[in-house]
Amino acid sequence: MVRRVLSLTAVVVTALLLQSTVFGQLRLLGVRPELLYLVTIVIALLEGPNEGAVVGFAGGLMQDFLMNQPKGITALTLTLLGYAVGMLRQFITSPSPLLPTVVVGVGTAAGIAFYEIVSLLLGNLDMTAAYGVKVAVLTAVYNAVLTPILYPLLRRISEGSRPRRVVRF
Amino acid sequence: MATRSRLRSTRLLVVVLVTASLAIITIDYRQGQGGPLEGLGRGAQTAMAPLQRAAETVTRPVGNFLSGLAHLPSLEGDNQTLREQLADAQTQLTTDQELQQRVATLEDLLGLRGTLDPEAVPAVVIGNGVSNFDWTITIDKGSSDGIAVGQPVVTGSSTSPRLVGIVVSVTPVSSDIELLIDQHFQVAGRLSTSGETGLVQGQGEQDLSMGLISPDAQVDLNSDQPVEVFTVSYEINGEHGRFPPDILIGEVASVVKNSNTLETSVTVRPAVDFSALQYVLVLHTGRSEGGPG
Repeated sequence: MVRRVLSLTAVVVTALLLQSTVFGQLRLLGVRPELLYLVTIVIALLEGPNEGAVVGFAGGLMQDFLMNQPKGITALTLTLLGYAVGMLRQFITSPSPLLPTVVVGVGTAAGIAFYEIVSLLLGNLDMTAAYGVKVAVLTAVYNAVLTPILYPLLRRISEGSRPRRVVRF
Repeated sequence: MATRSRLRSTRLLVVVLVTASLAIITIDYRQGQGGPLEGLGRGAQTAMAPLQRAAETVTRPVGNFLSGLAHLPSLEGDNQTLREQLADAQTQLTTDQELQQRVATLEDLLGLRGTLDPEAVPAVVIGNGVSNFDWTITIDKGSSDGIAVGQPVVTGSSTSPRLVGIVVSVTPVSSDIELLIDQHFQVAGRLSTSGETGLVQGQGEQDLSMGLISPDAQVDLNSDQPVEVFTVSYEINGEHGRFPPDILIGEVASVVKNSNTLETSVTVRPAVDFSALQYVLVLHTGRSEGGPG
């Protein structure tokens, strides 16, 4: 259990760190990837709604604290995203290796759209609908492209930290 | 039975987490500056700063290389434009030198003080905003180096500064800078050609918008000289603006056509390339906390 919490914390902190340094400069068409969305969706896919919601909440809150924006909106978005993806997991039966990529893409777009709507309702975001859609779509594509690289890594970490794992010699 | 109870506990967990998020949003909205969440946030930033600094040192070359790749198609054109500009600039330089001497003599005569406070703290950019809706950077200097909220941040040198943004939060070891492209950023600007003033506002990834310019102002974008926008200093009821005068904000990119005859508005391309920003100068102005630009 402790091992599990530690490795998930390490994943979230690393994602935040990369997000605020290297991926901040790697903008494509003015948009950067959202690693925390990717991590939340992949963990929810691998582990289920409980872990998805908790990782989403913790990661979102940490990201909120590093932003010059009202706190709590990312935490809310990622909690719901993690839970939703975790619940949807039971309806997905396709064994396709492309599955995580598609889920990350769709999930990111939905999550960003939700974040934009909440920010807009709180009067914090001032932008045109076209720009909002552009950010959601491009971020989703960017995240989807990163998934084949990061998914195997996250799966290894998540499986390695599972309790009662089989030890092979 | 077991599945159902696990489902129920998951639902309970989500309800608790969502409630917690909503509570945080509400508290953050009501507390304003200096509440308990603000302190927590500052703690998180302080803890992250050394990690960011380390990560930045390691990943900067990789980031530079990859963002260079992303810009590759436009490099050829840029190169050509720059060559032409260089030729123009060299001819300009000869005439300018003469003018410069005259200006220097006149300034000495008038006893003008340098427009910028000589106290400027150089800092290294160690992090960028973490989301697509947050146009900020993190620098490696904080309150222990005398940086305070509200101080203007520029790049270039103290003699030809370009505006970067303003300090919005400080920890002892790092500070967050709101970039001038942030949607909440406002600064008073002056057109280099006509001297007309207006209000420059950030628009995210798009060019800045500058409104409230007098409708009679003539903005001629077809001449050889680009129309540049600089900060202005002003004083209202004894309160000075946050920015020292004559810091370059950017260059007018287009004039916005509209039927409104009460004001002219233009779009302004920032003078700073924020994706490649590495070093900045934080200016110690006399006044720090305060209202818009």
